[in-house]
Amino acid sequence: MTLWSLGLVRGVVGQIVGFAAGMLLVIVSRLLFGLDPVWNEEPALVGGIIIGSIGFLIGVGALTDWFQWMRGIETPLHHGPPHGRPAWTRYFGVDYNHKVIGIQYGVTGIIMLGIGGMFAVVFRTELAASGFQFLDPANYNTYLSMHGWAALVAILLGIGGMANYLVPLMIGAEDMAFPRLNAFAYWINVPGLFTLLMSLGYGWDGGWTVYPPLSVLGPVGYQFTFWAVFLVGLSSILGSLNLIVTILRMRPPGMSLFRMPIFVWAVFATSLIQLTATQFIGQAFLMLSFERLLGMGFFDPNKGGAPILFQHLFWFYSHPAVYIFVLPGLGIISEILPVFARKPLFGYRWIALSSIAIALVGFLVWGHHMFTSGYGEYLRVPFMISTLLVAVPTGVKFFSWLGTMWGGKLSFPTPMLFVLGAISVFLIGGLSGPILATTATDLFLHDTYFVVGHFHATIFGGFVFPFFAAIYFWYPKITGRMYDETLGKIHFWLMTPAFWVMSIGQMSVGVMGMRRRIADYDPALGVEFGHLLVTIAGFTIAFSVLLMIYNLLHSAETGRVAGNNPWRSRSPEWQIPSPVPEHSYASPITVVGEPYDYGIPNSTYVRMAPLTAADD
Amino acid sequence: MNNSARTKAYGRSAMIALTLAVLTIIEFYVAISLDSAIFLMLIALFKAVIVVQAYMHVSRLWSPEGEH
Amino acid sequence: MTTVTAALEGYTQQLRNNRMGLWLFFISEAFLFGGLLVTRFYLWGNTRPELDQTIGLIVTAVLLLSSFSMNMAETAIEHGDRRTFLGGLVVTAVLGLVFLIGVMVFEWGLFPAIYEGHLTPGGDVYGAVVFAMTGMHALHVISGIIFIAIVWNLGRKGGFSSERHWGVESCAIYWHYVDVVWIFFYPALYLIGTVAH
Repeated sequence: MTLWSLGLVRGVVGQIVGFAAGMLLVIVSRLLFGLDPVWNEEPALVGGIIIGSIGFLIGVGALTDWFQWMRGIETPLHHGPPHGRPAWTRYFGVDYNHKVIGIQYGVTGIIMLGIGGMFAVVFRTELAASGFQFLDPANYNTYLSMHGWAALVAILLGIGGMANYLVPLMIGAEDMAFPRLNAFAYWINVPGLFTLLMSLGYGWDGGWTVYPPLSVLGPVGYQFTFWAVFLVGLSSILGSLNLIVTILRMRPPGMSLFRMPIFVWAVFATSLIQLTATQFIGQAFLMLSFERLLGMGFFDPNKGGAPILFQHLFWFYSHPAVYIFVLPGLGIISEILPVFARKPLFGYRWIALSSIAIALVGFLVWGHHMFTSGYGEYLRVPFMISTLLVAVPTGVKFFSWLGTMWGGKLSFPTPMLFVLGAISVFLIGGLSGPILATTATDLFLHDTYFVVGHFHATIFGGFVFPFFAAIYFWYPKITGRMYDETLGKIHFWLMTPAFWVMSIGQMSVGVMGMRRRIADYDPALGVEFGHLLVTIAGFTIAFSVLLMIYNLLHSAETGRVAGNNPWRSRSPEWQIPSPVPEHSYASPITVVGEPYDYGIPNSTYVRMAPLTAADD
Repeated sequence: MNNSARTKAYGRSAMIALTLAVLTIIEFYVAISLDSAIFLMLIALFKAVIVVQAYMHVSRLWSPEGEH
Repeated sequence: MTTVTAALEGYTQQLRNNRMGLWLFFISEAFLFGGLLVTRFYLWGNTRPELDQTIGLIVTAVLLLSSFSMNMAETAIEHGDRRTFLGGLVVTAVLGLVFLIGVMVFEWGLFPAIYEGHLTPGGDVYGAVVFAMTGMHALHVISGIIFIAIVWNLGRKGGFSSERHWGVESCAIYWHYVDVVWIFFYPALYLIGTVAH
């Protein structure tokens, strides 16, 4: 087994070669078109980014089968570990099994969470005391901007991991509808995140929202960010397409839409948003890239353009995007609660449809990010009303969770702790929402740390905590072993109070006047102690996550053998062996009852056998 | 293969193309005589619906005809 | 169930999955082209640049004709008529190329010796939006032509039958989609609003 046998290594080489080829292509084209100067760094770099990404995909092997099809050669779907190489190598190359791809997404997501978190730890250290300790405004802004996009990429990857691993298992399907597309959609993220990290070399300072004119006039690092996001966005679109077809067309007999595990509803609603809204950020970033490259004046008033147009296009994606971030996690909460309350999920249909309602209403609220932008005054109140409306389906979930827990036989292993932590944190974030939705108060709080507190709490409550809950919950299914429960509890009890402190701290300094995206602040504001608390909280959270990583790695070798169903869940994936075999289901399954009838005697959900004539 | 079915199918194809051409001519004259963006977009929508059903046969998504 | 029936059911299942997947892709791309239309109406309002109306009508007619030839090709393979199938593909690709040349020469002014275009991408928002819309559309025309070339090559080697021709169907509806986009872009660029540039 050589290094070259790993797809990832071939991909990186492909990206390097492609990058050089792309730069050459641009330079030669400029020569032929008689442009002056021939060697202009920015267009060459963009050419390199694009061709480099294609080079990566060719190198890793994500396009091979499709190239064969174009020549009329059939390519049967390869199952199982690669021939003549250790089994672990399948995780470092193109593999078509959705479980492998789910792990690839999940592990890459955890890595990006670490990278994004590191950027935060760096600039939070600077911000803990007033005055400049070791950063200057330029690199401070780059680190905070990188923290933004790195963390968002981590979230999209984590969601991809949960959805790809779980959805086919939950519907008893052999795999996703399009396994090769699935692999492609994973691998396109890798050149994307390499491109994002490359932007560090040049710097860019506008925050993740990259508004023009700054993003048009600023350093070339911006171009790397635009194209990185474009690649990650393409993954989002293709992955969601795959999930929608899988969910609509590959369910087993008896699994009507209202008999699916609730997480599948959450993924379906999320996929509707990802499929459609993502195109808007792709377009907006392409426009920025070309305004820089060709002077196309979309956002330049001197040429008849309008900077506000960018904000509309950007937020038309980026608001629905936050529902992409939280809907799957809220689905995880709904999925796990009944198992540890041993009670039916309260209001299943309401919860299912509330995800769809959030997805749809979420398209109507983007203007609340622009209350201070100077757009038409008449837009403010309608956007305020639509934004407040979104709290209704969200509230439906909260009350259903309460209803699920009420009168239940509760137990509190680590996954349940993280679910409860998620609810508490999402509540804090959610309650700060209407304050920002209300135009009058938002005018004072926009661009302050109050907003930072709001979205960190909602994102941690809607994604990070549920993601960790999911990791602990399905760890036994993935590895066949139990994680260390004591370490898991320590992780929870360090992270959750720290996060409450962080949220309250951020919101407090914001209300006292601390602005966003500034490298230093006036000590006279009285926010220094608040900042110190937030930084210490951040360090504590980071440390607790390291504990989790250690737990996951160590338990894979030494954990107690878990068996098929340590949690006594009714869901299909817990009725098959742990770890899950290559072909998950030995035979097709049939759904004969309701998914969440916990505690109801003689109620079966899934029969591990195909439909027979007797079933009619 | 059934030749008359084939000829009929080709004829249908041509009829749709002709319809689209006529609609385009109407569209052009509406444009130069009226100042109505809505009307032009409505004609465009109409042409699009024709292409989506008659040429792209979108109904195969849900009908039994989409078996092959 | 016999293996033949099982194989056919498997084929039909995959075919319907493929079809749904492609249509979902169309829905997604509708948001992209919709976003460009939003941009056009936001920046130009009820105005538009001066574009050559004859060229506009010609390229639109060419594209509509190409949808006709493409539909002929797809209908032909459904009825097992190989000659019309392959010929229709060639005609479609040629018409597609004619469209591209029309846009590149007469709208973009890429060859000033033949035609002096008065719009540039970096000039003002009229140029920028014209190039953005026609450029994004042209990308899809080019990929459509490449798709046709691949299908034509596979077709002449006997790769499709009247029962199994998803490759042809997907190529055809992709091409029609590109035409549908132009059906909306043509009035948006050429017909709506008063000339202001």
